Amino acid sequence: MSTLLETRRVTKVFGGLTAVNKVDLVVPKGKIASIIGPNGAGKTTLFNCISGFYKPEEGQVIFDGNVINGKLTDRIAALGISRTYQNIRLFKNMSAVENIMVGFEPRMHQGWLSVMLRTPAKRKEEKHVIAEATKLLKYVGLEGLGDNLATNLPYGAQRRLEIARALGNNPKLLLLDEPTAGMNPQETDIMKTFIRSVRDDLGVTIILIEHDMRVVMDISDQISVLDYGQKIAEGTPKEIQANPRVIEAYLGLGASALSEKYRREKQL
Amino acid sequence: MAEVHQKRPIKMPQLNVKVIRLLATAVVLVLLIARIRNVAIESQYGADTWLRLSVSGLIVGGMYALIAIGYTLVYGILFMINFAHGEVMMIGSFGGYFVFEAFNAIPVTLKDGTQNSFLNAQPVIAILLAFLAGMGIAALTGYFLEKIAYRPLRGAPRLVPLISAIGASIFLQNAGQLLFGPQRRQYINPSVIDRGLGWQIPIGGTNVLLTYSGIFSLVLSAALMIGLFVLVQRTKLGRAMRAVAQDKRTAALMGINVDKIISQTFVISGALAGAAGVMWGIHNGLTNYFVGFLPGIKAFTAAVLGGIGNIPGAMVGGMFLGIVEAIGPAALGIDFQLKDVIAFSILILVLILRPSGILGEALTEEKV
Amino acid sequence: MKSSLIQKAAKSGVVFAVIVIFLALIGFTVTAASLIQKVFGEAVGVSAMPAYPALVVFLGFIGLWNGWRAAKHTGDHPLRAGSAIVAGLVAGFVAGLFVLVYTLIVGTIHSNGVDMRVYLSSLSPESIVYFLFGQSTLTGGLIHLGLSIVSAAAGALLAIFSDRSQHQFALWKQKLSLWVNTSWPAKLRKNVFVGYIAMGVVLFLLVILPRTWGSYWNYIMGTVGIYVLLGIGLNIIVGYSGQLVLGYVAFFAIGAYSFALVTAPDPHHLNWNFWVALLVAIVASAISGVLIGLPILRLRGDYLAIVTLGFGEIIRILIKSDWLKDITLGPRGVRNIAGPTLLGKSFSSDIDFMYLIILAVLLSIFLARRWQESRIGRAWLSISQDETVAQATGVDTYKYKILALAIGAAFAGLGGALFASRNQFTGPEDHVLMVSINVLSLVIVGGMGSIPGVILGAFTLKGLPEILRELESYRLLVFGALLVLMMIIRPEGLWPAKRPKYGEKSPPLDAEKGGPE
Repeated sequence: MSTLLETRRVTKVFGGLTAVNKVDLVVPKGKIASIIGPNGAGKTTLFNCISGFYKPEEGQVIFDGNVINGKLTDRIAALGISRTYQNIRLFKNMSAVENIMVGFEPRMHQGWLSVMLRTPAKRKEEKHVIAEATKLLKYVGLEGLGDNLATNLPYGAQRRLEIARALGNNPKLLLLDEPTAGMNPQETDIMKTFIRSVRDDLGVTIILIEHDMRVVMDISDQISVLDYGQKIAEGTPKEIQANPRVIEAYLGLGASALSEKYRREKQL
Repeated sequence: MAEVHQKRPIKMPQLNVKVIRLLATAVVLVLLIARIRNVAIESQYGADTWLRLSVSGLIVGGMYALIAIGYTLVYGILFMINFAHGEVMMIGSFGGYFVFEAFNAIPVTLKDGTQNSFLNAQPVIAILLAFLAGMGIAALTGYFLEKIAYRPLRGAPRLVPLISAIGASIFLQNAGQLLFGPQRRQYINPSVIDRGLGWQIPIGGTNVLLTYSGIFSLVLSAALMIGLFVLVQRTKLGRAMRAVAQDKRTAALMGINVDKIISQTFVISGALAGAAGVMWGIHNGLTNYFVGFLPGIKAFTAAVLGGIGNIPGAMVGGMFLGIVEAIGPAALGIDFQLKDVIAFSILILVLILRPSGILGEALTEEKV
Repeated sequence: MKSSLIQKAAKSGVVFAVIVIFLALIGFTVTAASLIQKVFGEAVGVSAMPAYPALVVFLGFIGLWNGWRAAKHTGDHPLRAGSAIVAGLVAGFVAGLFVLVYTLIVGTIHSNGVDMRVYLSSLSPESIVYFLFGQSTLTGGLIHLGLSIVSAAAGALLAIFSDRSQHQFALWKQKLSLWVNTSWPAKLRKNVFVGYIAMGVVLFLLVILPRTWGSYWNYIMGTVGIYVLLGIGLNIIVGYSGQLVLGYVAFFAIGAYSFALVTAPDPHHLNWNFWVALLVAIVASAISGVLIGLPILRLRGDYLAIVTLGFGEIIRILIKSDWLKDITLGPRGVRNIAGPTLLGKSFSSDIDFMYLIILAVLLSIFLARRWQESRIGRAWLSISQDETVAQATGVDTYKYKILALAIGAAFAGLGGALFASRNQFTGPEDHVLMVSINVLSLVIVGGMGSIPGVILGAFTLKGLPEILRELESYRLLVFGALLVLMMIIRPEGLWPAKRPKYGEKSPPLDAEKGGPE
């Protein structure tokens, strides 16, 4: 079991606030790792440090043996890290297929001249990308919706389209930022199965930020808990559920009770 | 986890954008200083010329600062460049023009029996009313500009209000041309601040004229800036404006009428631009429909220079730009025709080398 | 309730009064009246005023609109006849009252013998008399008041009528769309050959028209063609990649001047071949696009706009300056620029030039479409919609933005070279900011990112004013208003861009990978 991603003492400060404080995180290849924690614990900030939106003030992000912090986001994407966003950020006025095809960008090589001359290599590449994108579309269950504008798709479909776009560059690591936010229990179940199948089918390592404890406890191989920017616990779902510090962070509610509470809220 | 440490992360020599910027800034500065030194050694200008140029730069800089504050205020609240702001200044300039014209047309017989125009008989009233009219009409223009061209576009993608602002700018400029004609108009000053009058300051054997109109403009723009500063820092309206600039939603939750505050911001910045317009007319003696275009862009440059969104920055930036523009051609030994090129080059260099401006703090990273 | 209704109507009336007074102040009432008279077949003589009925028609139309709007804004569904008519009457009365006050002021000043043109350049004595219908001040004003009330009432009635018949209209519309979608228009649309035939007809017209419609039309349409070229170029920058560039004229100028300087006998005695020079112009513009783009394309949208505007002005000032006089000939401009030649023969007649421009436009449309429908077009579009996310998805945003600027600049260079060659002259006054604004307007009005939109925009914004010469002086005013209006009511433009469909190209189903459902 080798490590795919490692953060070493990553720290990010906004003004006077330390949003992420010396976080060490090790994610082995082929696993689903979850990051949980109360609102404002720095989970998304950590994601932003990994995917290159933020430059950490301190520490290193090591992906596949390379230090990647400080690199531009497109270079990091080309190395094989993809992500989705907490509030869906699709290219709204492009069709669903085109959204996915943009995701293929790091894997395409034809330049402006060969596009202008429409060389055989360019046509082949375009054909290949269209076929692959259509395949991905089908894989996320949006078959036949490809020519719709992204903005016209229903909410759940947009979430899945975002994942399909992220899969376009054939990532080694997929960062999912609250993929089940705003979904009902049925949709959540489907998404849960889907996330697991992405890992199993495509061999993609996944880091997940999630509030729904049911999802987290069911599919994670490893859970890290952030609170006030610091990692306070790490372990398997079972260990985390029994960890007193985690329970304290969640205002004294037991993790299982919390997940129970969430479930009830969702069903209301 | 032992195998993690086997592969040492390779350290890439990264050419940081910051480093490049720093180097480029250094190179530009060195080149500039070298050039200025060379010119200074073989200078054909005496101290009188430099004084004259700096004073005129300071006067024009005050006007730039007034207009720049408008850009900065609006940018701070709406995060858009009010492209039509220069045109607001132009309209203010015409407001003052018509008051002076009207007063000049009214004949009065003075106590000693001489005939004079009302303008010269009561210069204080005339100037006061001219500024009131200029500021008033410019404020009104700002108010309606926001209401018609910007308010319906709240929350639209960035490009949309920007294009609307460009459209409004074109509209106002051409409305000005159609209403007032394309020709330049002579700005009639009351005789007390006639452009030829002023203090003579002897320097290096020659006299430098400090015109009353120029000094008047400078003092007035300083007073207006202090007034604005007090308004923003000390009054309820200023507090509301700052709150809206920080966070519109929270401000609205705190019971602030955001739309009203935005309107008032446009009114205030319009009034300042209007004052600058009247000063422009008094100082330069001319006005026409195109008078707002260049000051508009230059004031924007000043706002960027001082860090957009930053009110003291806009003031400093305006003064700085005015002086640099005035003495720049002489200091660099280039043609005075290329005065405007200097302003534009400063804008471009600042944006490339230090986008946050001289006084501006680093822009916060985008929240994803 | 009642008072709020009257307040609303009065407000509407004030707005319309302001519009009428503004139009009168800028002299548009006279222009519009002469246009109306021209439409009815009687051209207005030079420096003569049109007949009064034309003015009545124009003001009546505005009044009608006033009443219509006031009636529609009463807020009733369906409209109540009583309140709609009251609203119309109030709006008409208020508007008329304001216009009456205006006429009283202007008329009094006029009858005191003051020439208003000193202050407001469009208010000639003749136009004031015309606006008063040739009557005395008070009578003229009262006519305005009456006209306003009557036309607004008519507008309100019209609104009521349209409201009553809305259901009927909807039915007709439904029937029509059903017919269009099922009967032979639909079949025609689906048939591939119809497309070919239409294309053939267009090509035939493009070949035949320049020969038949004479040099005046060739001149106008040539200008439109060059603006289509510029529009397609700017469309790549603004429409596809979403970078608002306001100094597009800089590339136009660089193309024109590099072409002029290598072909003209003065000042450099180069006399290069037309085609070589054309290539030089295109390459020079493209390179300048890259050079300008390298430092500034990291800037955010609004900064970029003003920086490029600055660049445009710098180029123009430099061309004009004494400093570069030996290279560019300063404000005098470059004369005797070469026309096209082929195998030693000259092709500089207006017909040849029209063909050349058509060819250039067709070529640029062809190329622009190729880029647009490839990965490059997708990358541009993703940048224009969400640059941050596009980059994080793996799009090299910086590279693509520079590419867009270079390609757009190359088109501008081609346009500039053709423009200079056709006029055999280029000077600094050909390269003012207004060129940038014209092109930007036509791209935005036509529809950002849409090539048919650009063509439509060029014809309406550049061709129409050439035909309607009377409106020439109001063109930029209308452009400005159009930009604002388009952003408010139809930001996607007249002919919005459509995304290509990939539906038919779906490969057979892949059984190995199962979806989540």
